[in-house]
Amino acid sequence: MRGRGAVSFVPWATVAWLFAVGIYGVITSRHYVHLIGCLTVIQSATYIALLSVGYRFGSVAPIFYTRPPSTPAVDPVLQALVLTDIVVGATVTALLLALTLQVHKKRGTVNPERLRPMRQ
Amino acid sequence: MTALLVLMFVLVAGTGAGVVLAREPRRQALAIAVNGVALSLLFVVLRAPDVAYSEIAVGTALVPLMFLAVLVSLRTDRPKS
Amino acid sequence: MTRKARLLVAVLCALVSAPAIAVVIMHIPAFGRHPLPYGDAINHTAGAQRHVTNMVSAVNFDYRAFDTLGEELMLVAAVTGTLVLLRGRRGESLSDRAAQAGNRPVCERSEAVTLACRFFLPLITTFGIYVILHAQLTPGGGFQGGAIVASGTLLLYLGESYRLWRRLVRSRLLDMLEAAGALVLVLCGLGPMARGGAFLQNVLQLGQTGALLSGGLILVENAGVALAVTAGFILLLLEFLEETRATCEGEGP
Repeated sequence: MRGRGAVSFVPWATVAWLFAVGIYGVITSRHYVHLIGCLTVIQSATYIALLSVGYRFGSVAPIFYTRPPSTPAVDPVLQALVLTDIVVGATVTALLLALTLQVHKKRGTVNPERLRPMRQ
Repeated sequence: MTALLVLMFVLVAGTGAGVVLAREPRRQALAIAVNGVALSLLFVVLRAPDVAYSEIAVGTALVPLMFLAVLVSLRTDRPKS
Repeated sequence: MTRKARLLVAVLCALVSAPAIAVVIMHIPAFGRHPLPYGDAINHTAGAQRHVTNMVSAVNFDYRAFDTLGEELMLVAAVTGTLVLLRGRRGESLSDRAAQAGNRPVCERSEAVTLACRFFLPLITTFGIYVILHAQLTPGGGFQGGAIVASGTLLLYLGESYRLWRRLVRSRLLDMLEAAGALVLVLCGLGPMARGGAFLQNVLQLGQTGALLSGGLILVENAGVALAVTAGFILLLLEFLEETRATCEGEGP
């Protein structure tokens, strides 16, 4: 396509890399708190994907406080999605951490490989 | 301008890998803070200041602190056995 | 599943999906040149329609306010779940001392830390309130400002003692504030229906572009979101820090 340089692959390559690294971390984790950290990496991959779709070269942020409204700007809808997502994702992370504390209280370990599903 | 974008993307890819490769959870909490700073710089370069505000406050201050508090509780709690 | 089996399944899935991902990356529009009709429409018309200058807030609290309602209720649900989990199993026998982790000594706070926290707490809180109030003018809003104010109150615990943190930050008041925030947002939805409008329609006076009181219903929704986010995060911090306290002598955990 016209105008596609090497830069065009970098955002999507970063997103795919972060997603893959996060899933690798979840699979090979030996501590539930470490696993929750890897989940935050997977979430950040989606944030970067959304913001990369909305970016335009030579545009400004969609804030027209000092600029006329006809200045070319990036997409505000995707930014609105991502910023609520970041805050709510942090509270879901807190919920997962509280679950980790409960698991530790009941079973004494937070190693996923030592915690098998209970029988029967 | 394009070089700055590519640099920020590569930086975020590096700090993201650093979060996963920091196996010790206490070290990972600090890696999450560094990742938060790198992400918010990337969001500023992508012309998204609102998102950068959210990511700085949440990813650098609140989430690492919750991780550290949980890690302290895990070490000091005696489970019912 | 053993670890090797999990890795094997992951590698197989990666091999199957990698060509698909490569094909997608080849065919997406070039980075920086995506067609964005909805975004362009909002950038060109929202300023005149709603008298605001921050398009992201206009989208969050007016054009897509329904999604924000869902996100805020998700936040309240997650905070409620965490509080139920952490408060339900805690006994009454916690003291104010920090628990000792292994054989690490429990240190006194240094005066440098206390000074730095006392210096920064008013600055951060004022900045957070500024970010909340200027949602529709400059980058900001309830979500961002709420997170900033919540992380500012943490400096109370870091700089002063745990006792002062518990005395100044009351969990019952924060419970009420969080519920009030969610209620404000729901009433912003139902209120316009009482006057014959649609759910979450912007029925208030729009004011002048660039003034602090502009945007109509955006201000009220923003205040509701800010209350709920601030109170929610401080409640989470309260509960997690409470878990690190030592139990009183002679009692079990």
